[in-house]
Amino acid sequence: MIAPKKRRTTRLCRPSATLSILLAGLCASPVAAESQQELLLFPSLDTYNTFKEERPEIEDSFVRGTLNVLYSYSGERFRFLGEYLWSSHESELERFKGGWQWQDDTMLWLGRFHSTARYWTSEYHHGQFLQTPITRPSLEEWEDESGPIPSHITGLSLEVDRQRGDDSAFGYAISAGLAPKFAEHELVPYDVLDPGSDHGLAVNFRLVYRPEFLSPMQVGFISGWNEINVVSESSPDLTDLDRIDQLTVGGFADWRWSDFRLIASLVYLNNEMKYVDANVNDDFLLSYVQFEYAINEDFTFFGRTDNGFDEDLSPYLRLLPGFIAHRHMLGLRWDIASFQSLTVEIADTSRQGEAFDHDNFKEYRFQWSSVFP
Amino acid sequence: MRCRSATVVFLAIAWLLPQPAEAERAVVLITSDSCPVTDISALDIRKAYVSVAVSVDGRTIRPFRMDGDELLNRIFYQSIVAMSQKSYERRALSMALKYGTPRPPVFDDIDSAVDAVRRLECSVLYLWKEDAESLDGVRIIKLLWQGD
Repeated sequence: MIAPKKRRTTRLCRPSATLSILLAGLCASPVAAESQQELLLFPSLDTYNTFKEERPEIEDSFVRGTLNVLYSYSGERFRFLGEYLWSSHESELERFKGGWQWQDDTMLWLGRFHSTARYWTSEYHHGQFLQTPITRPSLEEWEDESGPIPSHITGLSLEVDRQRGDDSAFGYAISAGLAPKFAEHELVPYDVLDPGSDHGLAVNFRLVYRPEFLSPMQVGFISGWNEINVVSESSPDLTDLDRIDQLTVGGFADWRWSDFRLIASLVYLNNEMKYVDANVNDDFLLSYVQFEYAINEDFTFFGRTDNGFDEDLSPYLRLLPGFIAHRHMLGLRWDIASFQSLTVEIADTSRQGEAFDHDNFKEYRFQWSSVFP
Repeated sequence: MRCRSATVVFLAIAWLLPQPAEAERAVVLITSDSCPVTDISALDIRKAYVSVAVSVDGRTIRPFRMDGDELLNRIFYQSIVAMSQKSYERRALSMALKYGTPRPPVFDDIDSAVDAVRRLECSVLYLWKEDAESLDGVRIIKLLWQGD
C-alpha cells in the first residue's frame, strides 16, 4: 500500500472566521505608551522531488509557497501572541494565546500553543528562516505531516526561566490542556471553533539548563502524557480502537563549539492502544542527531540522521503511513542577505508505509526563506 | 616664505597630536529624568536588548536602539550586546517568535529617539556622550564604552 498523498487541509478552519478573531484582537489592542507590537512575516518557497524510488508509485514532487504571520502585543504585564500559517497545502491558526507576566522570569499563558515537551518545536515553531535545514526531524513533525507526538495543545502553560548566581540558567515549562484526536491517518488538534469536540488530556513538561543565561546552548529533559481519543469510524484501520494513551520521556541538547553545532534529541514513546476488547502496548525510541558547520559567515553545511529503535514493527506507527521512519540528510544553506537564505537538501528517506517494509526513496529539496521586516 | 613653513609645521604637529574630541569619545546609556533607576548592570542591559524582561528597582526597562551611525552600531554589537550582528538579529527574532517579545524599536534620528525616551519612563537609549550631555529631560545612567 502507498501512503496517502497529502491533501489540502484547512484547520481551525473557516480561515475567514479565524482571521476575523485575529484582526479583532489586533484592532482591540490598546496602544498605550508602554505597549509594543510586532508583526513578522516568514515567507518561504519550496521545491521537492523524489528519485530512485523503490516503486514508481512513490514518486512525488511539488512546489509550495508558505507564509507564516506572527503578531505579538506586549503591554506592561499582558502579552498576546498569534501565529497563522498559509500555504498552497494548508491554512491553519498555529498559536493564539494570551499571557500574564507576574515576574520578569515567569509567564502564564492561556490559549492554543505548541507542545512544551518538544525541543525543536519550542525553538523554531513555524519560523522556517530561523532553522538551518529545510526539513524538521520526523520526531518533531506537525500532526498533519504524520507527526507521532501531539504538537498543538489548547489550555494553560507556565514558563519559568531563572538566572542562577553563576550566570547559568534553569528554565522549565509545564502545560495542561486538550490533546489532539486521532482521525483517519493523523492526529487532529483541538478546534477552538468546535468546542464540543471530544478531546482528552495532555500534560507536558520541559526542563532546560543553559551554562550561560544569554547563550543559546542548552540541554534538557522532556516528558508528556497525552490521552488521544480515536475517531474509530474515520478509517477501517481504527475500527474498535477507542483511545491511545501516550507517554513520552526524553532529552535534548543544543551545543556549539566554535563553528560547529550539534542538536540532538532522543525520546521514548509508550503507546497504550485501548481497543474495545483488548489493550495493545507498544513502545520504541525515536531520535535525531544534527550537526552544522559554519564554513563562513554566509555558508553553513549541515546533516542530520533521523532514526528509531524497535519502531519498525510498531502498531501505532502503522496508523501513520506518512511518518518518516528514517532520513539521512545532507544540506547547504547560503545566507544571501541579512534576512534571506537559499537552502538545498538531499536525503535518503524511508516512509513508514502501511506494511512492515518501509517505502524507500531519495529526495532533494530547494528552498528560499526569509523574514520581514 | 618663513611664515608659510611655520604654518605647515604647525598643521602637521596639530594633525599628529591626538584630537581631544576623539580621545574623549564615549558611549553612554540615557534614561528619562523621571525614571528613578540610578544604575543598571551590564548583564541587565544585554538582557534587555535581546528582549529578555528586565526590571530594576521595580521598574521595567524598555530598550531603544539607534541606527545610521556605523561606529555606534559597531560599538552596540561588540560592547553592549557582545555578539555579531547576525547573532544578535537571529536572537532577537527568536525571542519574538518564541515568547512574543517585540524587538527593541530602532530610530534613525536622535531627536525622535530622545523624544521617545522622555515619553516612556525607564526606557533606555545608547548615545554618544557629547550628544547626551546637551539634552534636556534625560540623564546618563551608565558609561558603556570609552574610546582609547
